[in-house]
Amino acid sequence: MLLVARKNLFSEKIRLGISVGGVALSVFLIGILLALFRGWSQQVGSYVERVPADGWLVSEGTTDFVAAASVVPVSAESLLHSTPEVESVSPLIVRPMVMRREQDPFDKTFDVQLVGYDPTKRLGGPLAVEEGSKSPPGPDEIIVDKEMSKRHGIQIGDRLFRGGKSLTVVGISRGGDFVYTQVAFVTLETAIKFLDQPQDKRTFMLVTLKDPSKFDTLAVRVSAYTSDAQLVRGADFANETRDRILGNILPILIVVLVVAFIVGISVAGLTIYTATVEKQREYGILKAEGFTNPFLYRVVFEQSVVTGILGFAVGAGMTVLVAPFAQDTVPQFVVFVRWQDVVGIAGATLLMALFAAWIPVRRMASIDPVTVFKG
Amino acid sequence: MTEPPHEILSLEGVSKVYRSGEFGVTALDKATLHIHGGEIVAVMGPSGSGKTTLLTVAGALLRPTEGTVRICGIDVTHLDESRLAAVRRQKVGFVYQSFNLLEALTAIENVRVVVQNGSHNGRAQAMSRAVDLLHMFGLSHRLNSLPKRMSDGEKQRVAIARALAKDPDLILADEPTANLDAKRGQEVMHLLQQKAQELHKAVVVVSHDNRIRQFAHRVLWLEDGRLRDHG
Repeated sequence: MLLVARKNLFSEKIRLGISVGGVALSVFLIGILLALFRGWSQQVGSYVERVPADGWLVSEGTTDFVAAASVVPVSAESLLHSTPEVESVSPLIVRPMVMRREQDPFDKTFDVQLVGYDPTKRLGGPLAVEEGSKSPPGPDEIIVDKEMSKRHGIQIGDRLFRGGKSLTVVGISRGGDFVYTQVAFVTLETAIKFLDQPQDKRTFMLVTLKDPSKFDTLAVRVSAYTSDAQLVRGADFANETRDRILGNILPILIVVLVVAFIVGISVAGLTIYTATVEKQREYGILKAEGFTNPFLYRVVFEQSVVTGILGFAVGAGMTVLVAPFAQDTVPQFVVFVRWQDVVGIAGATLLMALFAAWIPVRRMASIDPVTVFKG
Repeated sequence: MTEPPHEILSLEGVSKVYRSGEFGVTALDKATLHIHGGEIVAVMGPSGSGKTTLLTVAGALLRPTEGTVRICGIDVTHLDESRLAAVRRQKVGFVYQSFNLLEALTAIENVRVVVQNGSHNGRAQAMSRAVDLLHMFGLSHRLNSLPKRMSDGEKQRVAIARALAKDPDLILADEPTANLDAKRGQEVMHLLQQKAQELHKAVVVVSHDNRIRQFAHRVLWLEDGRLRDHG
């Protein structure tokens, strides 16, 4: 680093602190928001993605798992079985609802995405049971997600109520967190009884194929059979579910990211600009002494880039320190840091530093060395 | 046999007119000046007489409107910015009224940064030259002091050391004693005179201060942009 750049930068510690602080804050905000977005993306699609089905039979127009207004006739199961491509079919009943623990007051409820599955087929049931020995659950029994248990203090043996009906918690599973709600599993029979569900209706049919490459053939066949249902690929269904939840958040997130980026540029730019204006006479002296404009530009760019590097280090450090703490304090704060994002933020910080140096450099170009003879 | 002193600075019929719309102010009017190595020339005159303009034109900072400026034989009148900067870097040292040291740099760094600029000197060589110069000016105890910790006299000595750092042929000093008390002013001028003669530098000192006369080989008077001998 050039001597003049280093000395100018580090001789004004308060200014440097403000400048680095501004960039760090911006990096922290960008980092934490990106990590949050990645965390949610990973979390909300996880259950749908990991259910080992090649396709989901859904009502025409149903695009995702959480807005589960899908209704398919139970007869579809036998119809699908009769096709040559299908290996297995497993019906699911899915219903979003609010429940409460027996011991909690009536107004202390929580969201549940209740999933009724066929325990003989297992497809669509808990991905992994961590606590409790009963899987599948028995009649009037329920397996709740670990995140739900953590957030609402639900233990094995607790009774969960909806209206006058209750289910007893017999297990705790993982992989069913949708951030704002979690899945809980019961058998199909329990779901029909608990939800007063008509015997001939299901929400989805999970389908596995003998040869997954024949998916399109089966999808066409389904379309030919009925215009009320469609077959959706598992991966597409997971992505649509993710988009349903995150699609509304994404534009807000982008706005905040842009604001954070602008804040970073503004704080770093303003402090570097004021430093340049303040030192304008000294830059004039250097020009008079025969220092060229490129040398002086380098002084400003180096100051800006070092400010950016320090800001990035502090901001990234803050993100790494604060994220786990925040995750423990606020359960919805699910973060996941990708190295690609870290590299991206480093690039954005560099861009911030270059932008921040741009106006001061233009100012510097216009400094007339003759002015140093005045006063 | 000694070699005749060679010409360092030559101004031939140099004028400088500052234009503002239709109006023009003549700051320098057909000034002619020739200065050789080892010579100290004082330029005196009232405020607004064009002294600073003369210095900046002579120092390749300002292009004249008319006439020719040569520094060490190089016609700088029509050089572009980068070449002018190169001439200043290699041939001209400045001493300013308000010292103009870089505040964040210590005495040794103020000198070193100029030594290193544009030369192939490494850090160690530049450092060694800066130490020698400051030692020459009696500032060995101030090497690592920041300007704000130095007296005005010390600052001006650092400034002169800096002006000599790149071993220029021409030193241009603008009111070098204006911010110093009489005693410090005398000391600084004596030092400048001594080093300029030892190192065979051409020096132009622009000043209001009559006491400068005693250190100059020639005194010129500048009034209304016109330069003339003043005995």
